[in-house]
Amino acid sequence: MSLFIQRMFDGLAEGSIYALLALALVVVFRSTGQLNFAQGEIGTLCAFFASTFTLSGWPVWLAVLVAMVIGFVIAALVERVVVRPIEDRNPGAVIVALIGVFLAVNQLSAMFWGVDARSLPSLFPTDADAFIRIGGAAIRIERLGIIGVLIVLLVLLFLLFNYTKIGLAMRAVANNQESSNLVGIRVGNILILGWGLAGAIGALAALLLAPSAGLTGTLMLGPFLLASVAAVLGGLDSPVGAVVGGLLIGLLKAFLIGYVDFLSDMLFPVMLVVLLAVLLFRPAGLFGTEKVERV
Amino acid sequence: MSDSPNDDDVIDRAMTEEIADAGVAGPSAPVTEEGEVEHSGLPIRTPQYGGLHWLGRVLVFAIPLGYLLIRVFGVTGIAGDGWSNSGLGLLADALIIAIAVMGVNLITGYTGQLSIGHAAFFAIGAFTALILTQGKVSTPFFGEENLWDPGWTLPVAGVVCFVVGCLVGLPALRLSGIYLALTTLVFVEAVRSILKYEEFAGVTGGATGIKGDKYTPPEYVFDFFGIKLPTGLDGRGDLNQWMIYLSLGLLLLIMLMVSGLIRSRIGRAMVATRDNELAAEVMGVNLAVIKTVAFGLSGAITGVAGALFGLKLGLAEADIPLFGLFGAITFLVAMVVGGAAQIWGPMVGAVFYVFVNELARSVGENPSESIFSFAFDEGTKLDGLGGVIFGILLILFARFAPFGAVGTFRIIRSKLVQVIPKPPAGSLAARAMAAEDD
Repeated sequence: MSLFIQRMFDGLAEGSIYALLALALVVVFRSTGQLNFAQGEIGTLCAFFASTFTLSGWPVWLAVLVAMVIGFVIAALVERVVVRPIEDRNPGAVIVALIGVFLAVNQLSAMFWGVDARSLPSLFPTDADAFIRIGGAAIRIERLGIIGVLIVLLVLLFLLFNYTKIGLAMRAVANNQESSNLVGIRVGNILILGWGLAGAIGALAALLLAPSAGLTGTLMLGPFLLASVAAVLGGLDSPVGAVVGGLLIGLLKAFLIGYVDFLSDMLFPVMLVVLLAVLLFRPAGLFGTEKVERV
Repeated sequence: MSDSPNDDDVIDRAMTEEIADAGVAGPSAPVTEEGEVEHSGLPIRTPQYGGLHWLGRVLVFAIPLGYLLIRVFGVTGIAGDGWSNSGLGLLADALIIAIAVMGVNLITGYTGQLSIGHAAFFAIGAFTALILTQGKVSTPFFGEENLWDPGWTLPVAGVVCFVVGCLVGLPALRLSGIYLALTTLVFVEAVRSILKYEEFAGVTGGATGIKGDKYTPPEYVFDFFGIKLPTGLDGRGDLNQWMIYLSLGLLLLIMLMVSGLIRSRIGRAMVATRDNELAAEVMGVNLAVIKTVAFGLSGAITGVAGALFGLKLGLAEADIPLFGLFGAITFLVAMVVGGAAQIWGPMVGAVFYVFVNELARSVGENPSESIFSFAFDEGTKLDGLGGVIFGILLILFARFAPFGAVGTFRIIRSKLVQVIPKPPAGSLAARAMAAEDD
């Protein structure tokens, strides 16, 4: 039983990272209908910035905050400079541009920080005795902290979307850009804000993952893949779906590796089956809204 | 004054439309009928070309292009003249990737089903070729050792990938857009895991993959009852050269087949599916059949490319970058950069992708000797510079040529060369033109 609880919290903590990244993807998808391929790489770049800040003596929380701001700025710039000039044209071109950003940002970190692994201190205590006993299992504080960060962020996002004017404007733009424009919302600024917000959330995911996974240029490649699956599983236009999808995939991974020995290397085949099983019945994901077409 | 025109009219009109299509039409185009006949109800015929026409068209482009490639890149093998062996290898890679991109173009460009999953077919094709040439499974015809002749593995890879492609096409009946794209991306990773799975190591070689001999180019292109066409290559040193001939030939053949397919009933249905699924269905297109067949065919094309790649490398291993996410990205980018739904797009896009990537990499390795020498000190080495340059190039390309190289070329051409369609013979417009000519 204690092993089960242990694995559950491992899975939830890992799933929280995927949930954060999936949330970032969903925020972008809702505002512009694009999958931001560069989301994970922008996060990695921010983690490199944070590691430089902590090396020069900044406290960790300040480094994390500044890195998130950098993530906001980079993602906002990507929207304004790269995506918007081609937006109304070819969706294929937007994908290529975002893959270009993906490659460029990925290699930027190699250019300035080299290819060796770096370390990033954690926001939470990581000493050997930093754990809490729950039902006989020793849960590391860092794991609980990551889950806590996800919950706090969800509450903040809920407040932002439901109780502020900006949140209302963001929901309006996600719903219908033309009408939003007509009622006086500055759609361009809202899009920049949405992408920037996603950039900051994606950066947070990388900053939480880097201390335990080690900071290299490929830090977010695997998580990005899993997070995009999580977003699709939950429904690309649903923040709740992103969180549920992320946690589900984290749990699936932890239990698969923990309990089903012969499938421990077969995460992706299993995930393909799960994804197909869900999407065949709900083609827009668990919580996504299906597009209704008027004929 | 009949409602239905006689056969001669139709043939005449078809001929003049051929001429019109060749770009010489205009106000002075020959008008076949004038005077009394009033043919308001003439059927509008789109030009229908036969297979020979397309063979001719492809050859007209391919022969000069092939000659150019041979001259420019020194494929003739004159020592010290033209490109090094690694340059030839790059060209062979580019052509193989071009074939793979033809597959992606068929499903994403023409049928409108966004697939990032074609790296899986590429991997399956390569593994099929290596499994057969290395005798990992027992098969009839090829003796006790089951060692297949490399050439015969290509059609088998095509058939295997056609079957797998049809299976992958099934989810496409329900999913669309990014949902489908990400499902295919998971499919890539799933295939890689399965290829690496130790339980299947007897066939796929497990984590280490299958290592084989490199493809030995044959002495004769064909040996038909004593009529022999020698390749002029001797042994393994000319592998790259042989791969260039082989993949260029296959690429042209596949281009010919795809351009024919697109003009067939199935191809029209594919394009209709892309443009408006609902309308296509209402018009009687069987979406399930069309999507499944399109996925199967495109998988088969990419699978053949994968088999070529495996034979060239003499190795099939699940961790080869082109078999994973990197390959998926490469094929998609090459397709868009060349021009989606353009018959020449894949070739242009793949050559662009491979050579510009190589150029960016070489600049990144030695920036002080490149065109950016002003910005770097002698001997500077920057690890990621090549990738950054390539990424920025892609961003610029997407900004300024969103319809790809071939699409942009067409737009520019349409600005310079104006094609005025010939009005239906006997119509008011045609008579007005005829009157002007007089």
